[in-house]
Amino acid sequence: MAKIDLKSLKNRAKNEIEKAEDLKKLNDIFKKYLGKKGELTQVLRSLEKLPKAKKVKIGKRANQLKNFLRIKFDQRAQEIKEKIKKEAEEKEWIDITAPGKKPVLGHLHPLTQIRRKTEEIFQAMGFTVVEGPEIETEWYNFDALNIPKDHPARDLWDTFYLENGLLRTHTTPVDVRYMEKNNPPLRIITIGRCFRHEATDASHEVNFYQLDGLMVGRSISAANFKAVIEEFFQRFFGFEKSQPIEIRIRPSYFPFTEPSFEVDITCLVCEGKGCSACQRTGWMEMMGAGMVHPAVFKNSGLVPKNWQGWAFGMGFDRLAMMKYKINDIRLFYSGDLRFLNQF
Amino acid sequence: MVFSYNWLQSFFKKKLPRPEKLAELLTMHSFETTSHQSSVISHQSVLDIDVLPNRAGDCFSHLGIAREIAAIANLNYRDSISIVKEDKILKAKDYVSIEVKNKEACPRYTARVITDVKVGPSPKWVQERLKVCGLRPINNIVDIANYIMLETGQPLHAFDGQKLEGNKIIVRFAKDRERIVTLDEEKYDLDENILVIADAKKPVAIAGIKGGMIPEIDKKTKIVVLESANFEPRTIRRGSKKLDLKTDASLRFEHGIDPNLTKMAINRAAYLIQEIAKGKVVQGLIDVYPKKISPKKIRLDLNYVERLLGVKIPKNEAKNILKRLGFKIIEIGSRLIEVEAPTRRLDVSLPEDLIEEIGRIYGYQKIPSVFPTVALIPPKRNLEIFWEDNIKNILKEVGLTETYNYSFISEREAKIFKYQPKDLIEVENPISIEQKYLRPSLILNLLKNVEKNQRHFDQIKIFELGKIFQKAKAEKRMLSGVITGDAFYQVKGMIDLLLNKLGISNAWYDEYQPTPEESKISIWHPKKCAEIKVNHDEIGFLGEISPKILDDLKIEIKLVVFDLDFEKLQKLASEEHEYWPISRYPAAVRDLAVLVPRLVRVEEVLNRIEAAGSPLIRDIDLFDIYEGEEIPRGKKNLAFRIIYQAEDKTLSSKEIDQIQKKIIQSLEKEIGWEVRK
Repeated sequence: MAKIDLKSLKNRAKNEIEKAEDLKKLNDIFKKYLGKKGELTQVLRSLEKLPKAKKVKIGKRANQLKNFLRIKFDQRAQEIKEKIKKEAEEKEWIDITAPGKKPVLGHLHPLTQIRRKTEEIFQAMGFTVVEGPEIETEWYNFDALNIPKDHPARDLWDTFYLENGLLRTHTTPVDVRYMEKNNPPLRIITIGRCFRHEATDASHEVNFYQLDGLMVGRSISAANFKAVIEEFFQRFFGFEKSQPIEIRIRPSYFPFTEPSFEVDITCLVCEGKGCSACQRTGWMEMMGAGMVHPAVFKNSGLVPKNWQGWAFGMGFDRLAMMKYKINDIRLFYSGDLRFLNQF
Repeated sequence: MVFSYNWLQSFFKKKLPRPEKLAELLTMHSFETTSHQSSVISHQSVLDIDVLPNRAGDCFSHLGIAREIAAIANLNYRDSISIVKEDKILKAKDYVSIEVKNKEACPRYTARVITDVKVGPSPKWVQERLKVCGLRPINNIVDIANYIMLETGQPLHAFDGQKLEGNKIIVRFAKDRERIVTLDEEKYDLDENILVIADAKKPVAIAGIKGGMIPEIDKKTKIVVLESANFEPRTIRRGSKKLDLKTDASLRFEHGIDPNLTKMAINRAAYLIQEIAKGKVVQGLIDVYPKKISPKKIRLDLNYVERLLGVKIPKNEAKNILKRLGFKIIEIGSRLIEVEAPTRRLDVSLPEDLIEEIGRIYGYQKIPSVFPTVALIPPKRNLEIFWEDNIKNILKEVGLTETYNYSFISEREAKIFKYQPKDLIEVENPISIEQKYLRPSLILNLLKNVEKNQRHFDQIKIFELGKIFQKAKAEKRMLSGVITGDAFYQVKGMIDLLLNKLGISNAWYDEYQPTPEESKISIWHPKKCAEIKVNHDEIGFLGEISPKILDDLKIEIKLVVFDLDFEKLQKLASEEHEYWPISRYPAAVRDLAVLVPRLVRVEEVLNRIEAAGSPLIRDIDLFDIYEGEEIPRGKKNLAFRIIYQAEDKTLSSKEIDQIQKKIIQSLEKEIGWEVRK
């Protein structure tokens, strides 16, 4: 029986493990010491033949060495694996400048997108979104709105006539239709297609969209109008601007409001400094508005002295044109995919 | 309307703000105004004022604008001089008699007679003011009439007194087939809707619109009969439209003018003629004015002013503003006043009208922004818009692009689609032939989109959600789309997906079966079209378009169209959706290829598989249809992938083999069907 020199075995094994460069070699070393016929395995096996006291003493040391070597093997194996991974990673490469593969999505019309944004802002302020018919009667489009027949005021709305009725020239009739069926207090907006009998050019179309709003209560005032509309424009345009958007109210005339207002906002191009887009005024004309005329309340079946409120109407296409810097309204209705695919 | 800055200045002792500043003041308090240099007379500023239509009555005049400036800038303005020295010997009645036959159409007719006038060119200052405002000087009498119109807003007309037959002026409606030649030598056929000024025999002027040539003022004119009348706006508007003749006078009359203005204007004109044309104003103002208009009185609650505008305006300031505008005020209570509006303010009759006056002069810019204090009532949900958005999102996700098309089609297009005029809604006054009818379907314009885009794109996938119009059912919302290519199954898949996402589960496709009449006018390809049904209700169509129509529209590529009734879709749609428990037992997949005659429908095969294999079949997927090489003629090969799964156990391969065998037996019972092993 050879002398059992565990100390030298430990040193040899440790040395070899540390020098092992790949997993195969490490495995061979493992077999050499800890395999079925490994040196240390043999030592452990040979213990049985030793006297009891010696057996206990050497056995303990041999087992400690076995554990020590196992840990060493594991550590070295881990080190080698990491080294291999790292080397492999360094060899791999993709050209990140090559173009990505885009999934093919469709596109929503810009007016749909602007419509959703508008509805979102007003709904957040408690406005219900309502709609009405595109073919209207003379009553709802004109008479109910205090625009009498044979009155020059009717010239403000160039109208397409049908055998029965007409194509609505604005979405304001929806206000009357809504008030007939719903008692105040109320807050609504409506966005819909309207029609004007006029020649088309870059800023006029035979069909277009209008946004109308109405708020009625016991004491809804012009000051309230200012706040709500300012908030709308601020949320719609304002976040990209360094200055808050201001609004300016001037006198105007609409048969269905009294007083009537013209509403300007800070020019979006020059932020109020004055530029060619706003004819150096610093303001851009945005909408018509006013306090609901008592005759309109009456025509909607409400008692005028009980209610007051405001209404506004604005060209919706123009809002989209300003938002996206589109210079020709006709593009919206062209069906040109080179235009639509940009949205 | 163009106004002379110098002329406006002449109403004030104090110097007016410079033109740009004045324009800004007017814009913020009255009417949108711009200032620029006159293009006619050098070194003169003009204001281009967009007088609002309800203020035409008092502000289509320099005097009216001067009053506005006075109120805005808190200045005093001077009235113009109109001291008439009447000749006591001669009486107006001896020269002309006035008869107003229709007092509704002509509420007031005022006339004066001036004799011994010397007709000639008017002085430079009159000519200049007319020119700046865009009028052409003619002679001193006509120029003065025009000058007074620009100054006061009252149109005047001058007749040569010696050319009026019977020394008569009759205001009446024209008789049928009467004609008139106007001052500019145009001929007009008149009718009983047109009000005229006539002498004993014939019309001598179209009332309130234009004078006739016969009693024209010329160099030899000695006696001038001056007319200052008030005409009913609707009458003038109808006449002007009918004759297609718009003049400075008709513009003013059709907006309405204060009847009380005629007297002041005619006296002012008589004064100027007396000064400039050296005429003698004979005694007597002829004035037919049966129903005198008196000022309106309106009660105004100052609390209401504050409540409507949302700003506190001191009582004194509110009263002051009204006074500066010429309103008279009587105090009734501490917060209640009675306001008497001058008759020239035809636009003022309600408390709200007065609030507008106070608000605009006080300055709308002084109204603060104040959020309303209201009950927290959440907005109602609009289901139509909800589903509209939902559908658009789904179609966008499957790669379709949304278009907005015109609501119109042309007559030619209606013919291509074989629409009968009786079914279409016709536009009575189209601007161009492109707008003859309202669109009865979205398909036509979508096909036009394809035609326009086919040059630039290999594949076109578009849709529109919008209203269509048919006589039978005025307006209705539709959802239609076009996908180019041999895309029937692609579109069918899209529709399936759409309906599935809308929670519509019981949809199926039926063979398109038009009646013989329908097939004559149908736009669909007779053999490549399906009706989409839910239960027994047809909700739309899907298929190819008749080749003839594509040809007419110059479309050279294959395409598939869908056309769905949005209103029905929206009613059927549901947000309810229930989770299907995931089976804890594994699923097994088996493929099955069946050779069947070409005209056998896939659905028949599917039904057989399902009937034989249920309830253990979880899903069947048709992954290939093949006809051609290696397949007997007249046959097609259908390849299915069947997924088997049980809810309560793992299926053994023996069990699956048994079901598969049962399915094969069932399929092979049909003659000519053969499962390929």
